[in-house]
Amino acid sequence: MSDGPHADVDPALVSTRSVELAVMALLFCLSIFLGWDNWRIGAGWAPDGPQAGYFPFYLSVLLGGSSLWGIVAALRSEELREEIFVGRSAFGRVLRVFLPTIGFVFLVQLIGLYVASFIFVAAFMVFVGKLKLWKSLLTGFIFSALMFYVFDVQFNVLMPKGPLEAAFGF
Amino acid sequence: MEALESLLHGFGVLLTFHNMLLMLVGICLGILVGVLPGLGGPNGVAILLPLTFTMDPTSAIVLLSCIYWGALFGGAITSILFNIPGEAWSVATTFDGYPMAQKGQAAEALTAAFTASFFGSIAAVMLITFLAPWIATFALRFGPPEFFAVYLLTFCTFVGLGKESRHKIVISLALGFLLAAVGMDTVSGELRMTFGSVELLRGFDFLVAVIGLFGISEILLAMEEHLAFKGQEAKIRLSVVWRTWLTLPRYWLTLLRSSAIGCWLGVTPGGAIAASFMGYNLAKRFSRDGANFGKGKIEGVLAPETAAHAAGTAALLPMLALGIPGSGTAAVLLGGLMVWGLQPGPLLFVEQKDFVWGLIASMYLGNIAGLIIVLATVPLFASVLRVPFATIAPMIIVSCAIGAFAVQNAMFDIWLMLGFGVVGYLFKKTGIPLAPMTLALVLGDKAEDAFRQSMIGLDGGLGIFWSNKLVGTITTLALMMLFWPLIGKAIDMVRGSGRGVPAGSESSRA
Amino acid sequence: MLKSFVAKRTALMAACVTACLGATALSPAMAAWQPTKPVEIIVPAGAGGASDQMARMMQAAIQNNKLSPTPIVVTLKGGANGGEGLMDMLGSAGDPYKMVISNSAIYTLPLANKLPFDWRKLTPVSILAFDNFVLWVNAEAPYKTTQDFVEAVKKEPAGAFKLGGTGSKREDHILAATVERIAGVKFSYIPYKSGGEAATQLVGDHIKVNVNNPSENVAVWRAGQVRALCVFDTEPMNYPAKVTADQSWKDIPTCKSQGIDFQWIMLRGVFLPSGVTPDQVAFYQDLLGKLVETPEFKDYLEKQALKPSDLKGPEMVKFLEKDEALYRDLMTQAGFVATN
Repeated sequence: MSDGPHADVDPALVSTRSVELAVMALLFCLSIFLGWDNWRIGAGWAPDGPQAGYFPFYLSVLLGGSSLWGIVAALRSEELREEIFVGRSAFGRVLRVFLPTIGFVFLVQLIGLYVASFIFVAAFMVFVGKLKLWKSLLTGFIFSALMFYVFDVQFNVLMPKGPLEAAFGF
Repeated sequence: MEALESLLHGFGVLLTFHNMLLMLVGICLGILVGVLPGLGGPNGVAILLPLTFTMDPTSAIVLLSCIYWGALFGGAITSILFNIPGEAWSVATTFDGYPMAQKGQAAEALTAAFTASFFGSIAAVMLITFLAPWIATFALRFGPPEFFAVYLLTFCTFVGLGKESRHKIVISLALGFLLAAVGMDTVSGELRMTFGSVELLRGFDFLVAVIGLFGISEILLAMEEHLAFKGQEAKIRLSVVWRTWLTLPRYWLTLLRSSAIGCWLGVTPGGAIAASFMGYNLAKRFSRDGANFGKGKIEGVLAPETAAHAAGTAALLPMLALGIPGSGTAAVLLGGLMVWGLQPGPLLFVEQKDFVWGLIASMYLGNIAGLIIVLATVPLFASVLRVPFATIAPMIIVSCAIGAFAVQNAMFDIWLMLGFGVVGYLFKKTGIPLAPMTLALVLGDKAEDAFRQSMIGLDGGLGIFWSNKLVGTITTLALMMLFWPLIGKAIDMVRGSGRGVPAGSESSRA
Repeated sequence: MLKSFVAKRTALMAACVTACLGATALSPAMAAWQPTKPVEIIVPAGAGGASDQMARMMQAAIQNNKLSPTPIVVTLKGGANGGEGLMDMLGSAGDPYKMVISNSAIYTLPLANKLPFDWRKLTPVSILAFDNFVLWVNAEAPYKTTQDFVEAVKKEPAGAFKLGGTGSKREDHILAATVERIAGVKFSYIPYKSGGEAATQLVGDHIKVNVNNPSENVAVWRAGQVRALCVFDTEPMNYPAKVTADQSWKDIPTCKSQGIDFQWIMLRGVFLPSGVTPDQVAFYQDLLGKLVETPEFKDYLEKQALKPSDLKGPEMVKFLEKDEALYRDLMTQAGFVATN
């Protein structure tokens, strides 16, 4: 559910109107892109029913139309201009989760899921949660080891793995 | 009462120490799978399938089906406590379950969800017990036009319900349909919107989208608020369970309606996810208090859970009787049947009485055991809320990543999950509803396939949707649903009452 | 440019095949390579389909008979009619822990969808079995033989008969188009997501005919809901045990004897990625050789009415070349080859 305006005093980073405009504009571009691709493969009505691109094409048109409508609506709304989409410190907090998460996914690709999840859980606890180092390392280790035991050893669900696991012959 | 006799025989097969033990193990594993966001019922069953190869078929199906019941129960837990659906079919449970938890009624919500699940599945099992042959014949009457009519009906129950601005609902719906269309088009055999990318070949998996849209985005939102989940501690005391149960008979109509929807959509492959949405929507539409849905109404928890569990259970019937799976989990079980040396199909009920009736008996016992176990373990799961956010958040993210990866063993899906997380965050904050998009993602390509399959041939043309009683009835029903806001207004005008129709009113953003 | 590329590939392939051949000859002594971690079977199809069932059966047979030192894991990659799984194999060069069970999608996908895939870029191990195609009609239908059926189709306006099959521009669709050409009839082809769906749609009389594999229709056949008219092979299937009340697989006449002179069988073969070593290939050929001798596998063949096969090495490559040419020819005639 979307939240209303924030009660706490947090200087605005960006207004809801700007974000809505940006989202609508992106959706509009997407609709043109998709519409074009579907037009290319055939968006007509053949004797045996609609062609492959028929429905997606008109859906793109619908998406484009609605996002244009959204742009107009957002431009005309005074109320949205006032509304804070996200405050500075709030957005800072969001980034504190989101950036490490991106880092985690990168690590998964590089060194495998289990080592990455150990680093991610432990580092998150230390740097974001300000929890004690030994607690964080221990939690991260137990969690990753448990996941490894359950998925790779017990149930043979193969997760992405890296050099460490390879060194142990997995 | 041949069915009763067979059922008793089934209980006889089931009531060995070995099978009962497997049942308990299965349910506990299932609840765990259901609670972990990302890992779904199909995953859980697929993971454990190899373990059952050496078992006898009845024990094997008892273990696997109990994992499924457990997952059906478990999915509601995180939906209510964290606003993160543990399973795709519990998305609709978040709509009212989470607001209830925020109001401090987590225990009531959980009790309602579990009891509703139980009710739905028992309704479906009774259907299977007594009407299996008839249902199988009924399912055979569904060709492409009938399937399309069912999907149309599901979508039409949706129209006019949202509180969001109309263009935002349309955006969400169109985007969902478009995403569903990515990949190979069944009817023409052409690739659509893949842009030469190998990763896009498989299209967008529904599960990956749900994990991102609801799971990751919720963590971002939670972080923005406080560095903590807003979920409330849920203490289930016997008295709360009892008190909640006493209120339930009041909602008998909702429970029955959702059970019927669930059984129907389970048998004609619409699936548990569509059933949960449709159950929720119809409850909202026909409730006297529809405007308060989404603010923590117990009916909003009962309706989707009953429908989802009924559909999940009923989906096993076409798998057993026709050999076509009614759900993802049923498809995995179908693979298992062949390995155990069984042949799903019309003769299974005749030739493999032990297996079939053992399974049906295990549906009764498994759900009773499941209900008791989930009610008993709720304090345990609720205590998770006391763990510091900085510890639980990364673990949820890792579990989401594992789930997203496990769907297709694709690294790309983890990135996709992140992308959907951002989309979910932006959409939730700009008031673009996620529910229409989810529904369109589930049913979009099925609906399109069914429509285009109907168009092929000499009798192709829109008239085919009224070409016999069955399809004509469903199509007409769908159109009535579509114009229900107008019909409702008309009824009101005739009655001369001043009360507006909440469902149809178009209110602008709050 | 493309030609020379293919030629180069074929030469490479030939070199590999010679190497493999050498390895097989010496295999008992040389099977030095052993897997040290779980082996994945990639299934380029959805859950519950014929390929999935085959993979599960292999997994069970290998596990129960302890044929492999490490576990076998089944991974479904069914996106884009299996294109996803095949492309994944292409990208796994040198990985001896992945094998794919493939069917004729290895020809149809590159031809119909211009998917940049070529089976020559994989290492063929062996063909485990061939699947047959049977012409099925609803049991209530008045026509009892193929000739009667063809007559009935000819009487109706072109396209009045709906023929259902799995997917579009794939084996069922190609077969349907070829039958149309040979018998001089015209169907409306309705593509479904799976053979199971095509089977129930036939029972429900939403389509008049399908060309399902035996395994896809056996359940409804035994229940007396569909009738088998003929099998698209040069000889009847060699399973004389009664399946229905009064018929065995062997009792189904060949379509050739019924006036539709056409043979159409589909491989179910195993491939490894490119760049694997000969002793790795030898290990898998040995493993699959033991697999086909297990009672589980034999039972599976009979239940699904599959045609046993022992094609491997150079004979398998020869078969693939010939089969691919047939597909290209038929797909070109039917207009299924992507042009743009």
